[in-house]
Amino acid sequence: MTVNFDNAATTFPKPETVRRAAAEAVRQLGGNAGRGGHSLAMKSSSAIYSARETVAAFFGAQPENTVFTLNCTYALNMAIQGIMNGGGHMIISCLEHNSVARPAAALASSGKISLSVAKVYPDDDQTVESFRRLIRKDTKAIACTLASNVTGQILPWKRIGKLCRDNNICFIADGAQACGVVEVKLSDGINILCTAGHKGLYGLTGTGILLSDGSYRIEPIIQGGTGTASTDLTQPLLLPEALESGTLNIPGIMSLKAGTEFVNGLGTEKIYRHETAVCSRFINELEKLPGVTVLRESSASYVPIVSFTIDGIPPETAAAKLSEAGYCLRAGYHCAALAHSCLGTENGTIRFAPSIFSRESDAAALAAEIKKMLRD
Amino acid sequence: MTVCIAEMPSYTYAVKGKKLLKARGYPCEIKRNERPGSGGCGFSLIIKERCPEALEILRLYAVPYTNVRGGGTDDDGKL
Repeated sequence: MTVNFDNAATTFPKPETVRRAAAEAVRQLGGNAGRGGHSLAMKSSSAIYSARETVAAFFGAQPENTVFTLNCTYALNMAIQGIMNGGGHMIISCLEHNSVARPAAALASSGKISLSVAKVYPDDDQTVESFRRLIRKDTKAIACTLASNVTGQILPWKRIGKLCRDNNICFIADGAQACGVVEVKLSDGINILCTAGHKGLYGLTGTGILLSDGSYRIEPIIQGGTGTASTDLTQPLLLPEALESGTLNIPGIMSLKAGTEFVNGLGTEKIYRHETAVCSRFINELEKLPGVTVLRESSASYVPIVSFTIDGIPPETAAAKLSEAGYCLRAGYHCAALAHSCLGTENGTIRFAPSIFSRESDAAALAAEIKKMLRD
Repeated sequence: MTVCIAEMPSYTYAVKGKKLLKARGYPCEIKRNERPGSGGCGFSLIIKERCPEALEILRLYAVPYTNVRGGGTDDDGKL
């Protein structure tokens, strides 16, 4: 028996429609999308456009501003470097994943930009104020997560979006943990939304998305073949091709289309409700256990992620024992060093992350296993 | 009938243009460029009727095209 509670890293299992779409793409879509005019290439091109339409509609974007990437990290690097390469000041939050923190820190350490880190509080007013206080005349972008990948805390992104709009600042949002479980739209004030295709959208690994509202030009950080204007040595300016050099992951993108349709069919509200119920059951059980600390604050709101620590048992040790018992949970720093400094969890945490396929009974059984581990 | 060929900056915009025009009753199709156009390989929108009107619709909806052949227009659509 293997029960996956590491869906924040990548969702598994995938819906049947997703598996079928990927297999169908391997069987049927043998041409290279956007390259060539023969029937196989045109069929693949048409399929990719249809995936763009599906994903764009889900996030309130335009198909031509919907860029397929390898994952959320690639999308965020494209956005952050593509917006900040010319210099200026940038603000990120203290809960950022390294996919935001590292490209920002690299630009700062090379002297290209100046960087500020806004503290996130359980209280949204304080968080918004924390960002507002850091805004300067030369602030060009705020890049922040919509929900922490460590604790699941939801940031007040609509208010941060408004802050950006009011101050003519580009808002780059990391939607990796929010997209698919809560409704996220570009109209929330987001200029560039980056997300994974393989987490809450249930596509295959190797898929990510960058959606732009078209307000800011993103300088490409990767140049190459786009299937268009080939005699010109300069990279095309128009999205999506400007940011899509090289061959696309066609089976992955078709799986992402199917995954997006799956989520859209159920509705994010239903998904959120189900996964939150699984989390609540787990938290209720954990709260009965001495020495277990759940990293949640009553005044904050959360996506369905629960981070916890156990006194006297390092997170990696606990996760290894739980894995032996058949439960898959992520332990450690979750690629978010800044967040642990902010949260005071220097040894990391154990993270529980259900999906739409998770069951409350499995969450209760996992808690029982943790109880047993405490006794041993 | 005035057929014209509008070179598109990408397949994505070719489909966007085609959908826009078809929805308004303008017959058109996408073809890979057969002769090197502006910048090399790419895609064109073959518009089979009422070219000037169709091109105006593309302009109105900010669908860029780089070059137009036939249809009574002469390279009038610029990106």
